[in-house]
Amino acid sequence: MSICVVEHDELHALVQRLIQQGPAMGPRERQQQPGFYYFDWLNSADELVLDYVTTTLPPKKAFFPPREPFLEFSRTDPAKVRSMTDEGPFVLLGVHPCDLAAIEQLDIAYSDNIADGRYLANRARTTAIIGVDCWPDEYCLCTSVGTEQARGSADLFLTPIQRGYLVEVRTPRGQELLGDSAQLPATDQDEADTAQFRREKQRRVTAKFATGVEQFADILAAGGLTEVWQEVADRCYSCGSCSLVCPTCFCFDINDDINLDLTTGARIRTWDSCQLPDFALVAGGHNFRGERWERVRHRWHRKFLYLYTQYGRPFCTGCGRCSRACTADINLVEVSNDLIAYAQRETQNV
Amino acid sequence: MSEDPQIRASKIVETYQPVAAHIVQATKLTDTEILLELRLGNGQSLGHGAGQFVQISMFGVGEAPISVCSSPTQTETFELCVRAAGNVTKALHRLEAGDWVGIRGPYGHGFPVEEMVGKDILIIAGGIGLPPLRPLINLVLENREQYGRLIIVYGARSPQDLLFTDELNLWATCDDVEFHLIVEEPDDKWQGPVGVVTVPLRKIDIEPAKTLVAAAVGPPVMYRFVAFELLQKGLPEDNIYFSLERRMKCGVGKCGHCQLNNLYVCVDGPIFCYSDLQGLEEAVEAWAPPTAEAGGKRREPGKGHG
Repeated sequence: MSICVVEHDELHALVQRLIQQGPAMGPRERQQQPGFYYFDWLNSADELVLDYVTTTLPPKKAFFPPREPFLEFSRTDPAKVRSMTDEGPFVLLGVHPCDLAAIEQLDIAYSDNIADGRYLANRARTTAIIGVDCWPDEYCLCTSVGTEQARGSADLFLTPIQRGYLVEVRTPRGQELLGDSAQLPATDQDEADTAQFRREKQRRVTAKFATGVEQFADILAAGGLTEVWQEVADRCYSCGSCSLVCPTCFCFDINDDINLDLTTGARIRTWDSCQLPDFALVAGGHNFRGERWERVRHRWHRKFLYLYTQYGRPFCTGCGRCSRACTADINLVEVSNDLIAYAQRETQNV
Repeated sequence: MSEDPQIRASKIVETYQPVAAHIVQATKLTDTEILLELRLGNGQSLGHGAGQFVQISMFGVGEAPISVCSSPTQTETFELCVRAAGNVTKALHRLEAGDWVGIRGPYGHGFPVEEMVGKDILIIAGGIGLPPLRPLINLVLENREQYGRLIIVYGARSPQDLLFTDELNLWATCDDVEFHLIVEEPDDKWQGPVGVVTVPLRKIDIEPAKTLVAAAVGPPVMYRFVAFELLQKGLPEDNIYFSLERRMKCGVGKCGHCQLNNLYVCVDGPIFCYSDLQGLEEAVEAWAPPTAEAGGKRREPGKGHG
């Protein structure tokens, strides 16, 4: 890995060149909702916002779309079935460390055991990722899950400094992206700016878990927290917003859509949420997670216990989207700390 | 043998793409169950193990996970017994010989058939639980000399709900099968015992150490009573295998629908050893009510996950 400095105008020109070379997706501001950002295709470098807080939806939608038709069929005998291929390659720009970590986690989960070919094929279309460092807000909890410095599979990573960006060139592909852009050596001032940015970033993260993730997993595994789960469930609407905006949620449903000709149609994969009441429903009407508190518990268990145990890292990257999106103002950090406090009280009482 | 990388790549991309299979025969077993015999259009054998399942597609309606109910040694065709319960399964009931469907799989972790050799085999089936156990029964019958006793307990709601009646008659008359049949709601002609599977189960004498149990019963709460009876008999937890039901959408441990605590029923199951379910709160349907032998043991999280 090498480090260089790219000044503001040079970066603007670089982004413009990437957009011209092929589709590029990056964070943009919603015209109708100033202050809200979303990942979308960029038409010009002017649209790219690099100092955004967090987008409503994570960039996973680039390769795990909310609704993905993946098979076309015709109900002939036998049915004609054709795999639907997606568009060509694209680059992903302006991805925060938490979202870089999330992409890495999805890669791991979807490649594990029996790989998910749909995801991997889509993911392979992302020919480059450029990450950028960020200012956290009051919902961000990256320091609690260790993702504040995550780089994932970023080819280039940018840290804002006075005269532009300190650029970490992480892969040969990253060097290729820089191309003819003027790459200046980092001065002492640039290094100092970078260090200052990172210190300030750490300082701005105010939402923190009261324990480390390993201890938190132990607390969840020990159980006996039903009272807390029920208290949270009393407020939860089971709307699924938390999963909808989560960068590491990868559950889905598969359904068929038939066209008006009643002969042709498509099989579609859609995002799903374990918080929705019928997620664990089976034939005969039995629901294996019929109680709301069981679904709330499942969300925490999956993020901080099951997948943590399986993959050695919590499947939460601290982006805070679930807390921002929650229609009932349920806050991930507050609930987690309630669980920790409850468990510690119980231990003391024994 | 290593596979051509290109073939492997195309297989991976098509994780969710079914292959065509045509219906060789469709036989109505009861008012709610149909038996489909299928042959893959590509001429290949399904290559399933006892206890595995497939995803069957009715294009335009959807997919449903169904246990393969024919013996693994039957390779030219395979059979699925389908209860009409939801949209897909109701559509499957309209199939006739010659119709085509989509199949992907087989998926999941089946019965440890090699471990079962030399043991007494106790099969406990309740209602639609019989089809997933039928491959195992057939496997034992086909290699009868390799096993000890074969005890089959089968319970159904009523005599009209009994599946595979020809085979039931065969088991009943077979010298080396101990067959116990029971129904909950008898009709006027019913001569046999009345009740649920635990009634005959209670009376069966077994040698716990050399008996392996395979059970699939519905509704879910029945597992608890079966587990209780088995533990009462002194059966080691490691000797009990349950076939559990969840609604798998993907079949490959990704979609999350069949998750049972840290396990995925579609890849870690659907056949689970009872000892691996201990301490898993979401397998509560399988737990015996606490007894001296099986009280409140908690399992280490993540242990045993593949």
